[in-house]
Amino acid sequence: MRRFLAIRFLQALVALLAITLIVFGLTHLTGSPVDALLPDDASQAQIESLIRHWGLDRPLHEQYLAFLGNALQGDLGVSLKWRGYTAMEVVLQRLPATLKLGGLSVLLSIVVAIPLGVVAARHRGTMVDKSANVVALLGQSLPQFWLGIMLIWIFAVGLGWFPTSGQGGLPHMILPAIAMASFQVAALARLTRSAMLDSLRSEYVKLARLKGVPEYRIVWKHALRNAAIVPLTYFGLLAGSLLTGSVVIESVFSWPGTGLLSIEAIRGRDYPVVQAVVILFAVVFLLINYVVDALYALVDPRIRRA
Amino acid sequence: MKLSRLRRYPLLPIAVLLAILFIPALFAEWLAPHDPYQSHLRNRLQPPVFWGGTWDFVLGTDRLGRCVLSRIMHGAQYALAISAVGIFVGAAIGTLLGLVAGYARGWTDIVVMRLVDISLALPSILLALAFAAAWGPSFEAVIIVVAFVLWAYFARQIRAEVLSIRERDFVARARVAGGSHARIVLLHILPNVVNTVVVMATLQVGVVILLEAALSFLGIGVPRPTPAWGLLVADGRWLVVSAWWISFFPGVAILLAVLSVNLLGDWLRDRLDPELIEV
Amino acid sequence: MNYARTSKLRVLLAVAGAALLAAAASAPVQAAGKVVLALDPPTADTNLFWNGTGERLPCFQALVGHDPITGKYNNSELAEEWSANEEFTEWTFRLKKNAEFHFGWGRVTAADVVHSYELTTGPDSTINSIEHLRAASVEALDDHTVVFRFETARTDYAFQHAGRGSMVVYSKAQFDKEGVDGYVSKPAGTAAYQYVERQPGAGVTFERVPDHWQGAVPDFEMLELRWIPEPATKLALLLAGEAHISDLPREIQADALAAGKAIVKSKNPAMSTGAIFNGMYGKTGDPAYRADLPWSDIRVREAMNRALNREEMIEILYGGRGEPVPSWLMDSRNEGYVPELKERFEGMYGYDPERARELLADAGYPDAFPDPTIPIVSSVLSGNPEFGTMAELLQVYFEAVGLQTEIREMDWATLGNLGRSREAYLISPVRNAPIRPTEAALVNFHTVRGTRYGGYESDMSEGLADKLEQTINPQERSRIAQEAFTYLFEQYADMPLAAVFAELTVDPTVVKDWTFPGVSTNSVSHYHLIAAAE
Repeated sequence: MRRFLAIRFLQALVALLAITLIVFGLTHLTGSPVDALLPDDASQAQIESLIRHWGLDRPLHEQYLAFLGNALQGDLGVSLKWRGYTAMEVVLQRLPATLKLGGLSVLLSIVVAIPLGVVAARHRGTMVDKSANVVALLGQSLPQFWLGIMLIWIFAVGLGWFPTSGQGGLPHMILPAIAMASFQVAALARLTRSAMLDSLRSEYVKLARLKGVPEYRIVWKHALRNAAIVPLTYFGLLAGSLLTGSVVIESVFSWPGTGLLSIEAIRGRDYPVVQAVVILFAVVFLLINYVVDALYALVDPRIRRA
Repeated sequence: MKLSRLRRYPLLPIAVLLAILFIPALFAEWLAPHDPYQSHLRNRLQPPVFWGGTWDFVLGTDRLGRCVLSRIMHGAQYALAISAVGIFVGAAIGTLLGLVAGYARGWTDIVVMRLVDISLALPSILLALAFAAAWGPSFEAVIIVVAFVLWAYFARQIRAEVLSIRERDFVARARVAGGSHARIVLLHILPNVVNTVVVMATLQVGVVILLEAALSFLGIGVPRPTPAWGLLVADGRWLVVSAWWISFFPGVAILLAVLSVNLLGDWLRDRLDPELIEV
Repeated sequence: MNYARTSKLRVLLAVAGAALLAAAASAPVQAAGKVVLALDPPTADTNLFWNGTGERLPCFQALVGHDPITGKYNNSELAEEWSANEEFTEWTFRLKKNAEFHFGWGRVTAADVVHSYELTTGPDSTINSIEHLRAASVEALDDHTVVFRFETARTDYAFQHAGRGSMVVYSKAQFDKEGVDGYVSKPAGTAAYQYVERQPGAGVTFERVPDHWQGAVPDFEMLELRWIPEPATKLALLLAGEAHISDLPREIQADALAAGKAIVKSKNPAMSTGAIFNGMYGKTGDPAYRADLPWSDIRVREAMNRALNREEMIEILYGGRGEPVPSWLMDSRNEGYVPELKERFEGMYGYDPERARELLADAGYPDAFPDPTIPIVSSVLSGNPEFGTMAELLQVYFEAVGLQTEIREMDWATLGNLGRSREAYLISPVRNAPIRPTEAALVNFHTVRGTRYGGYESDMSEGLADKLEQTINPQERSRIAQEAFTYLFEQYADMPLAAVFAELTVDPTVVKDWTFPGVSTNSVSHYHLIAAAE
């Protein structure tokens, strides 16, 4: 078991190394921060001095090794665009906003998707099932930015219930969280439904029925309790899509999280910040995967030998 | 008798897909009332016919006086082309690697699965942004992004299925009979995963249409003035107050197409591959 | 097992609930007397002016001020007066004695100016025109006198210290005590508004300075700049009453007007628009010159100009609020204005698709060119969504006369990169070029030393720009500039469109007016003159 964990860990490290190489290569292929940050009329002397100042005149492999060496010590460089901060500081400043929004959107999607899935399973094959499916799919069928803009117009401008955008308290988060959650509802509802179907067929549900437990209790308590674990495992996967979804939603709602940050960083060719965002999320993703693999291995010894 | 048999098919989604996606995509040249690129600058921002416009531009015109209806019809071609080509490439690569990894196991498997990890760990939108910044947005770039986003999901799912299929008796028999690896994979294993591939591919069409829209919103989708649906919605989004029809109708096209294709995919899954749990 | 599952779910719900409560508790209170500006996020979101692109925060002042109405230099900022010696090689600025930094960092002295100059010209500076700011030597003659010395004549050095210049004044005392970190967390300026805080990625807030040294009392107690990247959201903010001033793209101004909002514009035209022929590296011996570009042929350039229906374009793009101009660099307020070009314009540039087609046929277009495609730049990717319309509109007109076009979506960095390697063979729409002084404009767009993607360059344009730089006699300078503008006009060196005002959409129930001349990099200035309604 220990050997399996060690090998698997090494593999994850190699994957991470490959990711740093890809990110480094890709960001440097996109052009120079000098072109993004210097004005039109920058003189040749100013361009050259800045290129030297940022060490961009050194050979690419040397820059990569220097970057890697520093990264190992936890130093991802200073931001070129948000001057006065390190890349990590810039990312960490923005991370809580993304996590807050992501957390609320997950919560919202649970609140909507689990009842939908349960009702669909309970009324399997009827019109109720089909309608629940269509409702769940609706949210997943609109471009997210468009849904966001519609929500702003209806609920912020038209009805005035929520602020249009920006950071602040809970009211600020509702609309972007809905726009984000709408995307997760369908998958979550489908998972809940199939887990509930299994659960409703199980022996102890039959037993409970025989005992005369009321149907609503059987469905919402006994069966759901056992079915809930399946959709919960889905959250590991959500973590990865958090950033991708937030790029668009954060732009529409001017929500200053890592999604908005990463677009601005790419436009500004702020290599260190782009690298920091991608590497941070990659580390989180690989870590989750590693933990999941380790847990599976714990449960199922055959995997260890594979 | 025949009618009841027909009822078992998802008729409504199929009809909607035909009307919104396939027929316009194949016959836009004949069906569209106007050239989708032709500006009628004197007829800018005309409302749809039922909103005070004229029959000449049934769904109104955009800010350069182009016919919204014609642009949506021609846009269907791009929706279809992007999803068909992008998904085909992604599915082909993913399926191939999944087959090889699942069948060969060992080092091949480890390498492929780490590639899958890497691909899933890289945020796709950011990658697309960097890609577009480096080489400029283009139709091909959108397809590459689509293929890149999708292949890993196919690879992971197919590998998992192959792992269990290869233990089954008929594979063992084929091996005993002296079949080559390539023959076993192609003749005995591949047919058993085709259903999964078809179901997954269908379910991805919606994802791809929406991805195109997200890319267009960020300015890295298909370059203008191409009437790709996502670009149409993205382009009209500021004028939602005064000229709502510019973004509304392409938005509806996207909604109906994605919804229908997902319903069709659900139905296919139930018929072909009920075990597939894919998110 | 069963128990474990349930408790997991409960913990999750409890954590989420707690997060919600915490978020609700941190909801902000709306302050009275606050004006909120919903603006495009700046290229560089920083308190360090020399690391930005010249967009000045409302808390800073420079040496030279501007009259809020005419835009002419005046002593409304830190310098009381300034003068040059006869050869224009020495510029002396005398500072006001009572100017005071915020937060008790003391009076402004010559040492602060020298310190700020050193920061601004340091190796990490990304500010524009740094070479024009740089002097051979800078010296504080006494506490309130600074002299900048040069090896060559500098006829308009005051510009470098004014609204579109490259330097604002920071406190040396603060730097000595806190270093750059002090500037990052709470920079002291000298303007009527002082820094409060910056929310990373979201905006910056300022407050009225109590007892400002100039006695300025702005109407609004608080001033918040909020970064809103999405134009539709900006409009929503304005309509929902959350923001009171916004730099809405012109295309949606009409929607705001229909909803009862108003437009406040700069007192003077602030920007010129048009399209430029990039990649015309025509100086003799320049290896980047390509004779086979369609627009290397003057007939094609004329045809492209004649393909444009400018009246219609101004209507579509600016709702009719734009003044057609014969040259997008020449301005009647600057040196070298040639009034006759206005009269000649219709005859030489006027909308005439027939003539355009003839000219193209004459030039052998498209067969005579290896690549007849006209690539038009669009830059939605840079966060300038309004570029799309301009690029597509140009495309419509060009195609109508038989030109083959293609829109190339690219962001600034890509364009800059192409320019730096001198490969920018493109047509660039110019959405809002600030009007520059003549010498800077000519050098910037028509010499090898200028902008990297380049406008029309030739021996003639280089020669005239050089000559202008070396001349100090005003009449002589004016004559050279006139010659240059006439030459460029006759060469069809650009596709000028219009001079436009900087326009802001405001909520008239909160903001009555804002008097600003339109002379800074992002056109706005004089934040203390934002007037409250009633």
